[in-house]
Amino acid sequence: MRRITEVFGGRRNLLFSGLLLALLFILLLDLFFVHHIFSPFVYFYLCFALVIVFYGIYPLYVSRRLTRYYWDRTKRHHLAVIGLVFIIFLVAVAIFGPFLTQDPTKVDFPNKNLPPVGFSAEQSTYDRTTGQFITRETPGTWLHPLGTDDKGRDMLAMLVSGTRISLQVGLMATLIAIFIGLIMGVVSAYLGGWADNALMRFTDIMMTFPFFLLLVFIVFIFGPSLWFIILAIGLTGWTGTARLVRSESLSLRTRDFIMASKSLGASDRRIVFHHLIPNVLSSVIVIATLSIPGVILAEAALSFIGLGDPTVTSWGLVLQAGQRSLETAWWIAVEPGIMLFLTVLAFNFLGDGVRDAFDPRSQV
Amino acid sequence: MATNNTILQVSELKTYFFTRLGVVRAVDGVSFGLRQGECLCLVGESGCGKTATALSILRLVDSPPGQIVGGEIKYHNENLLRSTGARLRQIRGNRIAMIFQDPQSSLNPVLTVGEQIMEPIRLHLKLGHRQARDKALSLMKQVGIPQSAERMAYFPHQLSGGMKQRVMIAAALSCNPEILIADEPTTALDTTIKAQILDIFRELKQQMNMSILFITHDLGTVAGIADRIIVMYGGRIAEAGSTLDIFDQPKHPYTWGLLNCLPTIAERREKLSPIPGMIPSLIDPPEGCIFHPRCQWRMSVCQQAKPPEYVISGEHIAACYLYQKAPASAGL
Amino acid sequence: MKQGGLQNYIIRRLFYAFLIAFGVVTVTFILLRVGPSSPADKYLANISSRTQDPAKVIEAVEARYGLDRPLYQQYFNYLVSLARGDWGWSFSTSLPVIELIKRHWIYSFQLILLSMLFASSLGILIGIYSAVKQYTKTDYAATFFSFIGISIPNFWLGIMLILVFSVQLGWFKTYYDTGLPLFSLANLKALILPVITLGTGMMAGYTRYSRSATLDNLRKDFVKTARAKGLPEYIVIGKHVFRNAILPIITIIMFDLAGVVFGGAYLTEIIFGIPGLGRISFNAIFANDYPVVITITLIGAMVVLLTNLATDIVYTWLDPRIRYD
Repeated sequence: MRRITEVFGGRRNLLFSGLLLALLFILLLDLFFVHHIFSPFVYFYLCFALVIVFYGIYPLYVSRRLTRYYWDRTKRHHLAVIGLVFIIFLVAVAIFGPFLTQDPTKVDFPNKNLPPVGFSAEQSTYDRTTGQFITRETPGTWLHPLGTDDKGRDMLAMLVSGTRISLQVGLMATLIAIFIGLIMGVVSAYLGGWADNALMRFTDIMMTFPFFLLLVFIVFIFGPSLWFIILAIGLTGWTGTARLVRSESLSLRTRDFIMASKSLGASDRRIVFHHLIPNVLSSVIVIATLSIPGVILAEAALSFIGLGDPTVTSWGLVLQAGQRSLETAWWIAVEPGIMLFLTVLAFNFLGDGVRDAFDPRSQV
Repeated sequence: MATNNTILQVSELKTYFFTRLGVVRAVDGVSFGLRQGECLCLVGESGCGKTATALSILRLVDSPPGQIVGGEIKYHNENLLRSTGARLRQIRGNRIAMIFQDPQSSLNPVLTVGEQIMEPIRLHLKLGHRQARDKALSLMKQVGIPQSAERMAYFPHQLSGGMKQRVMIAAALSCNPEILIADEPTTALDTTIKAQILDIFRELKQQMNMSILFITHDLGTVAGIADRIIVMYGGRIAEAGSTLDIFDQPKHPYTWGLLNCLPTIAERREKLSPIPGMIPSLIDPPEGCIFHPRCQWRMSVCQQAKPPEYVISGEHIAACYLYQKAPASAGL
Repeated sequence: MKQGGLQNYIIRRLFYAFLIAFGVVTVTFILLRVGPSSPADKYLANISSRTQDPAKVIEAVEARYGLDRPLYQQYFNYLVSLARGDWGWSFSTSLPVIELIKRHWIYSFQLILLSMLFASSLGILIGIYSAVKQYTKTDYAATFFSFIGISIPNFWLGIMLILVFSVQLGWFKTYYDTGLPLFSLANLKALILPVITLGTGMMAGYTRYSRSATLDNLRKDFVKTARAKGLPEYIVIGKHVFRNAILPIITIIMFDLAGVVFGGAYLTEIIFGIPGLGRISFNAIFANDYPVVITITLIGAMVVLLTNLATDIVYTWLDPRIRYD
C-alpha cells in the first residue's frame, strides 16, 4: 500500500487518480453500454471539480494562514472583490439560469422586436382588419423583461444561454491552454538542450501568427462547433504561458531548495511535481485569470462574424443579429454587448487584484 | 551662533514621511550652519536622517510621502522653504549643487555623459553648444577624466564607477556653485577610487574655496577632509563640533560607539566593538532620548524627555544628559 | 566593436526570421491538409456538384492544382510557388490573390496606421500624466477608464458608435463609403468611428503600460539628479524620464500589432464594411475561397515577424546599454 502511495506521490494524488479512473469507467459505460448517463460537458465539469477540490480548495484549506494572507491582499482591491462577486453571480446564472428561463431558441414572430420593460418602440405591424401596415407604439412586457429579437426569441433566455456558453468557453479553453503551456514550459525548462530549443522555436512560430487570424483560419478549416472552437482556442493560446512557465522554472531550477532536494537524491519527477509546478503555479493562476477575458472575447468575436457554433445561442450570435436590426431594435445589440463587457471587466478587475496579491514584489 | 560668513543656516528643520504605516520623523528638529569655504560633515548610521536633511535643503524630498513640516533653511538671508519653484530652480545646480551616493543609478543611462554634464551649463550659464562643450571638456579634465573628448560621447554604462562619480562631480561643479552637497559620494566605490575622489573634494575646498556639506556613514572617511562634524542619530543631532573635538574628546555615548567601530592602526584592538541594538524605528521612536535603549550610560531622565543640546566648549555641543550641568545651546 | 556585433546580430535575426517564416508556412500547409474536410475538398465538392461529370472535373481540377500528387510534392510545389510570388487564384473574385491584395491592402493600412497614431499618442500622454499625478483623482480616473477601455469589446463598441452617431444622430454614414478618394477630408471623416473603435482598446492598454513604465523611472536616482541640476519639470519628465520609459512602451506597441491590431482591424473592417484585408478574408471564408484566406493569414504572420525584427533593431539605437555579442 505504501509503495503504491509513493508511486503516485502521496495519498491525495492516489485518491485523485482513483476518482478520475472511476469517472473514466462511467464514461466507458456511457459510450458502450448505457447510452447517455451524462452529457460530455458534465464529464468535463466533474473532472474540473475534482481538480479544483484536490488541488485548489484542499491545499487552501490545509494552509489556511497563507489563504488568509492572499485573501487579505486581494481584498484590498475593492474592484477585484466586485469582479469576483459578479463572476460568482455569472456562474450561478450559467448553472441555474437555463432552468428558469424560456427556451432561447423558441421563435415567436408575432412578438418580435419587443423592447425591454420600461421602454417602448414604434413597430409597423400588419393589421388584419384593414389589411394595411400600421405603425404602433409597442411597450415592453414582463413576459419578456429584456425584450425579444427579430424572430421573437426571448432576450433574457438568450443572454442566460450566452452566459453559459461564454463561461464554458472561457474556462475550458483557458484550462486547455494553461495545461499545454504548463507542460511545454516545465518540460522545456527541465530538459534544456535541443529539446528546449525545439519547443521554444515552435512556440515562436505559433506566436508569430496573429491569434485571431489563426483562430479564424483554424475554425474555417475544421468547421464551427463549440467543442472545436474551445479546442482551437486552447491549442493556440498556450504560447504566453509556456514562455512564462519556462522562464520561471529556469530561474527556480537554480535556487537552493531545488539544489538541496536534488542533492538529497530526489527523482526528476519528484522535483517537477513537488517543487517546480507548485512554485510556478501562482504565476499561472494570474495568467489564467487574465487570459479568460481574451478567450471569452475571441469566442464572441468568432460567433459575431458568423464562425461560431450556429446551434448554440451565444452572446456573439445575438450581437450579430443585433447589428442587422440596429435601426429597428437597438436593445438586441446593446444587451449582449453589456453582458460581454461586464464579464470581461469583472475578470480584468479580478485578474489585476490577483496579480497584485500573488506578486511578492508588490509588498506594501 | 550664526557667524558672518555663514552662507547656509538650517534651523529646526523637520522633514517627515507620511507612509501607510505611520509618520516617519526622518529629520526632527535639526539646526546647523555652513560657512564659506568649510567642509561640514554629517555622520550617522543609515536611516538617521542625513540624506533627508540634504534633500530638504534643495527641497528634493519626494512628495508624497515626504514633506518638510517645519523649520527654516536660510541661504544668504533667503528662506529656501519659502522660495518659489522658479527661484529654487535658479539655485539648484547653479548656486547649490548636489552629488548622490550611487553614480550608477544617478546618471541617466540613455544619455551620453557629455550631454549630462552640459545640461546645467546650458541651462544656467546660457552658453551655446560649442562653448558648453568646451566648458564640459575642461571640467572633465579638472576632475581627472582622461581622454575627455572621446568620453563625452560615452554612455554611463561604458564608464567605471569611479569615472561615473567624476562625471557626477563635473556636472555638479559646472556652474561654480557656492555650496556642494555630497551625499555619500564614496560609499559605492572601491577603497582606492574612494581616496582619489576624496582628493578631488580636498582640492575643491582648498583651491576654489567651496563650501561642502559632506554626508557619510563612515567617520573614517571624513577625518581627512572635515572641518567640522555633526553626528546625527534618529533624525536629531547627537553631537557636533570641530573634527578635533569629535575625534579627541567625543562626548556623546553614540559618538563613542561610532569611534569604537573604527579600525585603527595605532591601537590594535582584539576586535571591533559594534554598538549593541538596532537603529530605532522612526515611526514609533522611544520616549525621551532616542538613543537610550542602546546606551550603556542611560539614566532615568533619559527615558522621559529628549535631551537639549548642551554646550561643552565653544562650538562643541552634545545632546546628552551626561552634560546637564553645561549650559544649553542656543543653536549652532 | 559594437557595430560589428550589431551587424552580426541583425544577420542572425534575419536568418532566424527566415526560419520562423518557413515554420509558419509549414504550419499553414499542415493545417490545410489535415483538416477533416480541407477547403480544397470543399471547393471541389462545390464545383463538381454543378457539372454532369463530377469525377472528370475533379480530376481536371486536381491535376491543375497539383492535388493528385503525393503530399510532399504538393508541399514542395507550394513552397516554390509562394517563393515565386505566385499566391494562387481567388476563386470567388476571379483574380490572382496578389492582385486582390494589391487593391485592398491600403484600406487596412490606413485604418491601422491612424488607429496606432491615435492610440499611441493619446495613450502615452495620458499614461505619463497619470503617473506624474500618481494617487490623485486624475490618476484614479485615468486608471479606471483604461480598465473600461481594455474590457470593452471593440466590435461592440463599433456597433454602439454606429447606433449613437450614425443611426440616432445621423452624423456619419453607417457604412464606409469606398468611393471616397483616399487622401481626402471626407475619407478622414469616414474613418473617425472605425479609428475610435479600433483605437480605444489599444489606447487604454498603452495608458496602462506608459503609466507603469513612467512610475518605474520616476523614483530613480537620475531623476533626482536632473532636478538637482535645476532643470524645469517638463524637461525632467519629457527628457530624462521619457527617454527611459519609452523603451518598454515601444516594445509593447510593436508586439501589440500582432494580437490587438490584427484581430481588432479584422472585426472593425467587417463592422464598418471597410474593404481591407480583413473584410476580404471574411468574404473569402464564406465563399470557401481558401487561397485568399491562407495568403492573408500568412501576410499577418509575416507582418508580425517583420515588426518584431524591426523592434529589436530599433531598440539597439534607443537603448545604448544593449549589446549583442
